[in-house]
Amino acid sequence: MSKILILGAGISGHVAASHLRRKLSKEHEVVVVSPNSNYQWIPSNIWVGIGRMKSKEILFPLAPLYKKKGIGYKQAKAISFFPEGDKNESKPYVLSEYVTGDKKGQQEKITYDYLINATGPKLNFEATEGLIPGENKTYSVCTYGHADHAWQGLKALISEMKTGKKVKILIGTGHSSSTCQGAAFEYILNVEQELRRHKVREMAEIIWISNEHKLGDFGMDGMLLSYGSMTLKSYEMVEMIFEDRGIKWILGAGVNKIEDGIAHYENLEGAYKTETYDFAMLIPAFSGHDFKAFDKNEDDITEKLFKGFMIVDADYSPKPYEEWSVKDWPETYQNPTYQNIFAPGIAFAPPHAISKPRKSKNGTVISPAPPRTGMPSGITAKLVADNIIDTIKSGKESLSHKGSLGNMGAACIASAGYGFTQGSGVSITTYPIVPDYEKYPNTQGRKLGKTFGEIGLAGHWLKLALHYAFIYKAKMRPFWWLIPE
Amino acid sequence: MTQRISKYQRFKMMNPIIQFFKFIYLSLKIMIVVASGHGGTRVEKK
Repeated sequence: MSKILILGAGISGHVAASHLRRKLSKEHEVVVVSPNSNYQWIPSNIWVGIGRMKSKEILFPLAPLYKKKGIGYKQAKAISFFPEGDKNESKPYVLSEYVTGDKKGQQEKITYDYLINATGPKLNFEATEGLIPGENKTYSVCTYGHADHAWQGLKALISEMKTGKKVKILIGTGHSSSTCQGAAFEYILNVEQELRRHKVREMAEIIWISNEHKLGDFGMDGMLLSYGSMTLKSYEMVEMIFEDRGIKWILGAGVNKIEDGIAHYENLEGAYKTETYDFAMLIPAFSGHDFKAFDKNEDDITEKLFKGFMIVDADYSPKPYEEWSVKDWPETYQNPTYQNIFAPGIAFAPPHAISKPRKSKNGTVISPAPPRTGMPSGITAKLVADNIIDTIKSGKESLSHKGSLGNMGAACIASAGYGFTQGSGVSITTYPIVPDYEKYPNTQGRKLGKTFGEIGLAGHWLKLALHYAFIYKAKMRPFWWLIPE
Repeated sequence: MTQRISKYQRFKMMNPIIQFFKFIYLSLKIMIVVASGHGGTRVEKK
């Protein structure tokens, strides 16, 4: 009998738990530890943030589902890792603290045979002074709660605009190394469309602010993509959309301080500037959770497990940008020191950025961190689960399932406006996610044809279809496993 | 605001009949890109 402990119940943790439970017999135990009581389909937060969906439509409670499916569930947060156990506990364990109910504040050593760390990122709002969701007129759409607040703020602003007030809206990244530009890109287009729907578009100046050096970088070094019968660079496509929608942009901006209605930033030229606003949605920096790890003698071994995020089978040796290789990226997400520990999704430490790192003239790094969205999170979680299942069933270590971001495609269906007949979406696929300059030297490291973009109503329908399909899948309804990650 | 997308392009982007077929086409194409397998990069496939 084996016990698999999964930390986190987001896309990655939930995918791993559901596949493990489906494929392993009941004698094996699957336990999920998460401080969150709900599963949330994060890509639809955008629509909560413009008031076109209620947050209850994108989430459901985890406890009843896990009880029904025979998955253990503890609403607790991980504190520290003991991969060798300690003087009193021979099995490896994670020290966790309950966050709700009678056991709130109580700590427990949760033992395991296999550990899947799917804790995702910490939303590091503290890294930018004054960037607090719901304060200083800044908002976030990173969680459904944040998105609810964002809609309240936007709704109040629209009411003011209807009385004749002219406003400035700032949307983008809130730190010099933020990632997830895609979410901000979706939000700015949705906000723009909603203002038109409310007939107040002419009252607003809408500005994109980002740490990207070019539009359409998205933390992926941009891309060369097929667009209809043409081949475009992603910056040309985004520039076309922004100009068509009357959206201005500020690039190479590392936001470093927020005051009430004022964003302070440094640009790549080294100039310190400010931008005023009446409403802002700025994506914070992401970071690891500052977990600690200890060996059997309770000596600190954090550096064996964590490098901000968790260390896995990547090549972390520091080297110049010109020597970066797609082969540096992990394939099995297994920790090299403790081979029963895995970190799929966003929990693993990337070996390096994907976009070329850039510094301002003052030496400040202003460059997007690598994005790791829902689709690769689900795929990597499933392959980790499959390797654990094979290992348990065969009785010897099996790592036959591999999935490097350098040999994996991803789709980004970016909503550009909500509405069954008036909506729009920008559908972009990229293959591979991390460019492979050896295989595809003449097309910026990606395969044309499999890297393409489309704009139109079909994109909105696709995103809506994915919303319903993935919530169905997450609820583990009949034949859920037929829907790919 | 600079009109970068022509009226004809916009008509095609928002016409429900054209977009219905585009929806089917995109669904299949995206499925091929993301569900057609993945693997490592360090060892060549046999």
